[in-house]
Amino acid sequence: MGGFFSSIFSGLFGTREMRILILGLDGAGKTTILYRLQVGEVVTTIPTIGFNVETVTYKNLKFQVWDLGGQTSIRPYWRCYYSNTDAVIYVVDSSDRDRMGISKSELVAMLEEEELKKAILVVFANKQDMEQAMTPAEVANALGLPALKDRKWQIFKTSATKGTGLDEAMEWLVDSLKSRQ
Amino acid sequence: MYTLLSGLYKYMFQKDEYCILILGLDNAGKTTFLEQTKTKFSKNYKGINLSKITSTVGLNIGTIDVGKARLMFWDLGGQEELQSLWDKYYAESHGIIYVIDSTDEERLSESKEAFGKSFDTQPGFPNCLSVPDIKTAFSDCAPKIGKRDCLVQPCTALTGDGVNEGIEWMVKCVIRNIHRPPRQKDIT
Repeated sequence: MGGFFSSIFSGLFGTREMRILILGLDGAGKTTILYRLQVGEVVTTIPTIGFNVETVTYKNLKFQVWDLGGQTSIRPYWRCYYSNTDAVIYVVDSSDRDRMGISKSELVAMLEEEELKKAILVVFANKQDMEQAMTPAEVANALGLPALKDRKWQIFKTSATKGTGLDEAMEWLVDSLKSRQ
Repeated sequence: MYTLLSGLYKYMFQKDEYCILILGLDNAGKTTFLEQTKTKFSKNYKGINLSKITSTVGLNIGTIDVGKARLMFWDLGGQEELQSLWDKYYAESHGIIYVIDSTDEERLSESKEAFGKSFDTQPGFPNCLSVPDIKTAFSDCAPKIGKRDCLVQPCTALTGDGVNEGIEWMVKCVIRNIHRPPRQKDIT
């Protein structure tokens, strides 16, 4: 009985924690973005081997954000985290033109996964503060995003170190997660 | 036997899928239009707060069923640099909804240019449906539109006036258009 009431109560008032994955190649800035979102500061990071997980509250919505290591050797393990994911934040280093192709193939492989069929995709064209950074449209083309026909996606230009673009991106994410419920 | 029956079932109840592109300059109201359409045509769809819509830098999708047809909408970002992504969608689309901000006289010519360009890059462009009463401004695009069905439908995406009429016309035309049949889904 108590369990019944508590489940009704949580259904009415509690919000389910949204599960968000931050993915991308190594050195794209995933960990920096995670901590920028959580504490609002730039932290000194080292390459992530394994994962970082933090709870971020944004506009009354609780996110459980998983930042997975992006090195080649540990990318195969991303798939272990796919289930029940509400949204994927895919981080790209916009100044790294050479590895756009690799980034694209990782993204394509990821989106083919059945478990991510319903997930919302947000691409962060990160490191926009760099001089040779590609524009969001260029990044979108390089990643082959126009080939996605049955999934909502959005690309944002961000700079994790400067903190630009992150707010707009999160706001959009919150709105689209809310409208999906 | 099961396959046969399920195939028959799918054949009878399968809906024809048509893909509709929503194009136009930034801030024309494309996403608002899409949200309004979804609210009007699908039951128990709770749209997002229309005032909260921000500029699209990517793709919004929506699916509605009208009679036997299923319309899939692709709402693309309209900013100048994003217009380069438009042509990737032309080959698969059955209709275009071109949204124009009727209050923005200054950018009317810019809008016309983007509109014309999209016909240049893809001669196989299907039906076309655009919004306010600006036929005269767009009159030199007429040769490009050619034989395609075209309707200028005044509407207010924010309140939803005119949305129904436009969509219903669109459904009628994409079904009638034999040159671009509905997307084939394999019946297996």
